[in-house]
Amino acid sequence: MDKAELDRQFSDLYKAHLRDVYSYSYYRVGNHHDAEDLTEQAFLQAYRHFERARRESDGRPMRPWLIRIAHNLASNHYRDKSRRPESNIEAVEPPAHPHTTERVVEGREELRLVMRKLEVLPDDRRDALIMRFALDMSNREIARALGRSDGATKVLIHRALKQLEEEMAHEGGSGDD
Amino acid sequence: MTETAGRMDLEALLGDALRPIEPPESLAARVEDTLSAITEEAAAALGSWADELSDSELESLRDPRNWVRPVAAIAVGGVAAGALAVVGARRRRKPSGLRQNAERLIGELSSELRR
Repeated sequence: MDKAELDRQFSDLYKAHLRDVYSYSYYRVGNHHDAEDLTEQAFLQAYRHFERARRESDGRPMRPWLIRIAHNLASNHYRDKSRRPESNIEAVEPPAHPHTTERVVEGREELRLVMRKLEVLPDDRRDALIMRFALDMSNREIARALGRSDGATKVLIHRALKQLEEEMAHEGGSGDD
Repeated sequence: MTETAGRMDLEALLGDALRPIEPPESLAARVEDTLSAITEEAAAALGSWADELSDSELESLRDPRNWVRPVAAIAVGGVAAGALAVVGARRRRKPSGLRQNAERLIGELSSELRR
């Protein structure tokens, strides 16, 4: 394949998944500034390794590979800062909903709670849920992005949901915050 | 509430909480600018390297074992230049002076090597 064709394919990948990479980065770091940095770095790194990755993908979708790059960069981002982010997923403002005022307040509180409880999960569980719900990735895609088997990923997501459910129930039962 | 119904509610809640985030419009331009900067740095490195060459160094380029440095610089420039086209190159620009210099130097070096 010549370089022009390879570049065209990268261009398609970039256009198709800019939002995915940005969304994933945003939910990992919790602010637009760092999410933009991570997205930019992810695409630069992807471009450098695109030819090889495409060859090795054997026709499979490239999105998991791209998200894996963003995932590794986000992990490095925390490691470099030697701390958790000051503004993380918990600080992400829930989206607005077209309901009545009372339901909006109630709904937004519920969303805030789920965001706060996501932060309690171990990193791999939380990351798998971001991939599943923010990016609508299949178990197989998530497995490739996290470098795990399909079976292990299914278990990971099941445990993540179960733990989150328990955390939410505990919060609801205790009535405190 | 059954366990299944509870799980369905939680998944619906997660779907609401973790909606995809639209990237800011400025991000695509920013990526493009970064790639442009890499290209220009590579061209500048090639230009300054060629400017530094003395006659004896030009003479030494007749030996293919000495071609590593220019080839590496050209390769870096080539990779980044390709990346520019990749992101759509929405803001097309004429080749910069640095790039023109680099292309001229490459041509001159090729002629020099052929002699």
